[in-house]
Amino acid sequence: MSTLLLEAERVKSYYHTREGTVKAVDDVSLDVENGIILGLAGESGCGKSTLMNTLMMKIRPPLYLVDGEIIVDGERISKMERKEIKKKIWGVKISLVPQSALNALMPTKRIIDFIRDVVKFHVDVSDGEIVSMARKRFEELNLPEDSLYLYPHELSGGMKQRAVIAISTLLNPKLLIVDEPTSALDVSTQKRVLKLLLDLKKFKIIDSIVFVTHDIAVLRQIADRLVIMYAGKIVESGTLEDVLSNPKHPYTAGLIHAVITPEPEIRKRGLVSIPGEPPNLINPPSGCRFHPRCLHAMPICKKVVPELVDISNGRKVSCHLVKA
Amino acid sequence: MIPPILKNLLRIKKFDISVSIILFITLVGIIGPFVYTVDPTALHAPPEVPPNNKYPLGTDSYGRDLLAQLLHGIRSSLYIGLTASLISLAIGVTIGAVAGFKGGITDDSLMLVTNVVYALPSIMLMMLIAAYLKERNPLFVALIIGLTSWPWVARAVRSQLMSLKSRDFLAISRMAALSDLKIMFEDLIPNMASYIFMAFVLLMSGAMIAEAGLSMIGLGVTRGVSLGIILYWAQLLESVRRGLWWWFIPPGACLVSLATSMLLLSTSLDEYFSPRLRGR
Amino acid sequence: MSPVLRFLIRRIGFFALTFVVFTLVIFTLPRAIPGNPLSTLLSQLFQQAQANPELIRAVYKRLMDEFGVGKPLHEQFLLFISRTLKGDLGTSIAFYPRKVADIVFAYLPWSLGLLIPAVLTSWIIGNMLGALAGYKRTTALDNAMLPAFLTLSQTPYYWLAMIFLYIFAVNLGWLPIGGAYSSGRIPKLTLDFIVDMLRHYVLPYLSILLSSMGGWAIGMRSMVIYELGSDYVDYADSLGLSDSKILRYVFKNSMLPQVTGLALNFGSILGGSLITELVFNYPGTGFLLFRAISTLDYPLIQGVFMLLISTLLLANLIVDFVYAYIDPRIRTGYIGE
Repeated sequence: MSTLLLEAERVKSYYHTREGTVKAVDDVSLDVENGIILGLAGESGCGKSTLMNTLMMKIRPPLYLVDGEIIVDGERISKMERKEIKKKIWGVKISLVPQSALNALMPTKRIIDFIRDVVKFHVDVSDGEIVSMARKRFEELNLPEDSLYLYPHELSGGMKQRAVIAISTLLNPKLLIVDEPTSALDVSTQKRVLKLLLDLKKFKIIDSIVFVTHDIAVLRQIADRLVIMYAGKIVESGTLEDVLSNPKHPYTAGLIHAVITPEPEIRKRGLVSIPGEPPNLINPPSGCRFHPRCLHAMPICKKVVPELVDISNGRKVSCHLVKA
Repeated sequence: MIPPILKNLLRIKKFDISVSIILFITLVGIIGPFVYTVDPTALHAPPEVPPNNKYPLGTDSYGRDLLAQLLHGIRSSLYIGLTASLISLAIGVTIGAVAGFKGGITDDSLMLVTNVVYALPSIMLMMLIAAYLKERNPLFVALIIGLTSWPWVARAVRSQLMSLKSRDFLAISRMAALSDLKIMFEDLIPNMASYIFMAFVLLMSGAMIAEAGLSMIGLGVTRGVSLGIILYWAQLLESVRRGLWWWFIPPGACLVSLATSMLLLSTSLDEYFSPRLRGR
Repeated sequence: MSPVLRFLIRRIGFFALTFVVFTLVIFTLPRAIPGNPLSTLLSQLFQQAQANPELIRAVYKRLMDEFGVGKPLHEQFLLFISRTLKGDLGTSIAFYPRKVADIVFAYLPWSLGLLIPAVLTSWIIGNMLGALAGYKRTTALDNAMLPAFLTLSQTPYYWLAMIFLYIFAVNLGWLPIGGAYSSGRIPKLTLDFIVDMLRHYVLPYLSILLSSMGGWAIGMRSMVIYELGSDYVDYADSLGLSDSKILRYVFKNSMLPQVTGLALNFGSILGGSLITELVFNYPGTGFLLFRAISTLDYPLIQGVFMLLISTLLLANLIVDFVYAYIDPRIRTGYIGE
């Protein structure tokens, strides 16, 4: 029943810097089915933000798409011109909820004027229609109607967060990409944002969500599927249930173990149970990129890059310990 | 041998260029008068001679050797710039640090004073004070410049301090019950060393340009030469209209290359130490 | 009270305070500086009394009166304040018996006529070039523009003026070598005279324009670079807003601090342009100030500064009004010094 909303095939996107080429996303394939919430997790610096940007082709020098294909709702956006992508895809088919909602709104424009600028660029509608569209969506997200006529600095933090979500979903995009929206929030606000996202999906305003975070505990409350990234590669993916209850990759296991720790301080930092530092992506380790930190490393791990293999029903792992 | 921070800085092209120019002109100003021992105030030479073998930069209308004037001028302009900037720096850093550190009424009143002085253009305050001094030796001129140029430093130091204050190490020092003064001088000021150095460089270029401005309007040093004084005489005796380019071009060119290099130096330091820092 | 009103009242209060402080400085300086410059001047005048006894005595008496010499300090101050408030800035020594205010007002229009257009155009052009350089950062265009801006911003106006004068007037003979109009002409509103005046205007105007432009461009460039990296730009981009629209946003937000910068830098530009007037023998306040300084005409020196500072504070206030009008964050009380 599930059709694919987004397909990424063997995607490589690299930063070309003076110090060298940073292989931030290296040979990653990823599907997002219709109607699911996909959680993308990993430590900071693992390339998940770059992958997120790559999935929507939000690519600007020094980042380049070196190889691979990205298809969104039947359109091959990896081949499109930036201009066309902006007009036809962003805000219309894929929308982003940015990490820092607090500063995301144009500071010297009223919110309705900003909305008008955005909508007018995508669709040909009258001012009146735009206002009624915006009113309806603001109402649905429990935002007072007057707030449309305010400047961003006149809104509270929570209201800004909701206003950004409202603006991102104004044109009913199929896919919403959410970038660590909860990391700066307290627990109760966090809960409300998560509920809001679930509601958006329930009301069919959006179809699917890609939720990017370093915090597996948050994904536990919202995601259907999990994708774990390490050093520019996907190491494991599967349903939330499967991955959490039975992690196959040693890195995933460590990540989950870190989350179970009740200490919020440790949880925030992510991975204390795994010794060592995440590798630099200019000269990544040979073979399996995790091998220098892996407790179960074998001689082969140093030499051969493990493939991401399907072990059963869409459950994928990239590790020499796991035989298909 | 070379500290790593210097090694990194030397990799920045802007830094290398600006430091070389500053060093070169400074050395010329310091060593030059010992090598080229002509008296800059002697009126021996034939007047208004264009540059030639005997007078490498020509002579002025009084028959003074312009190379000798330039060498001594660089030296005293550097002296005035250095002294003035140290004075401004001392005032600005003290006021900014105390205001930013103490907060409350101390902060409000110090900032009010600073903003009032800031609202009055320093070049005019300088002119006003200088006009009442009959004798103006280089130290006086430096004092006048130094006493009027500090407000922006105070403001910048204060806002920089505000952002440093929120960081962890201060809380630790507070917990260790160190005295305010101790915290200020042992923790905060060292953390701001690079910032203060940048302010110093900018103050110095500003002071040298101010010196020239004061001299031009007739309020420079009353005895001796400086880059500004050479320009003053060149202006007063109509060197431009009489086509004596060798009189007014070299001192101005020295001044502009020094000041530009100093600005460039502070820009490169800024990029190195705080790539995303915005001064308001 | 509306936030705008509150902001403006605070600013007016601040400028009033600044003005009072400045008046105090003007009052104190001649009386506080060691060696008492005022009495030096007076005794000098007294010694010259042989040359033209009548006149010098009259000047001397007037000065004694106006400075209140011999009276207690607080009486001197009250006298000074009441006279200043009435617009009486004293009597000039060099131009005796003309009043200082009259003399300065005769010269001030030339200075302002030179300064205001030059400052505004340099602000506009500098900001546009700076925005362009910021937008094209790390390209060859930016790499060529930035050093030029840096050098221009550190070039004293009057030195650039000397070079322009040397090249375009002395060497090439394209433009007149100084003054505000050809000598012998009487200012009147004929086409002929206006053309003559404009020909005299070009070089001083260009010197001030060019040398103050660099600073604006540098400031704008770094503002634009900063804004381009900000969160709202990234978000607007991800919503698919057109690049040209985003650039317009960035330009708008970068301009706002530059408006405040205009007020802050007005004074130093004025200082620079005063000296530029000297180079061109342009009959403005700079020219007047130079004469006053070389003749130790203290009342005139004080008067020139009094009027310049008043003009300046007024200009600052106007900029504040403009700023309060264009920045919504002030209108709604979000920011304000």
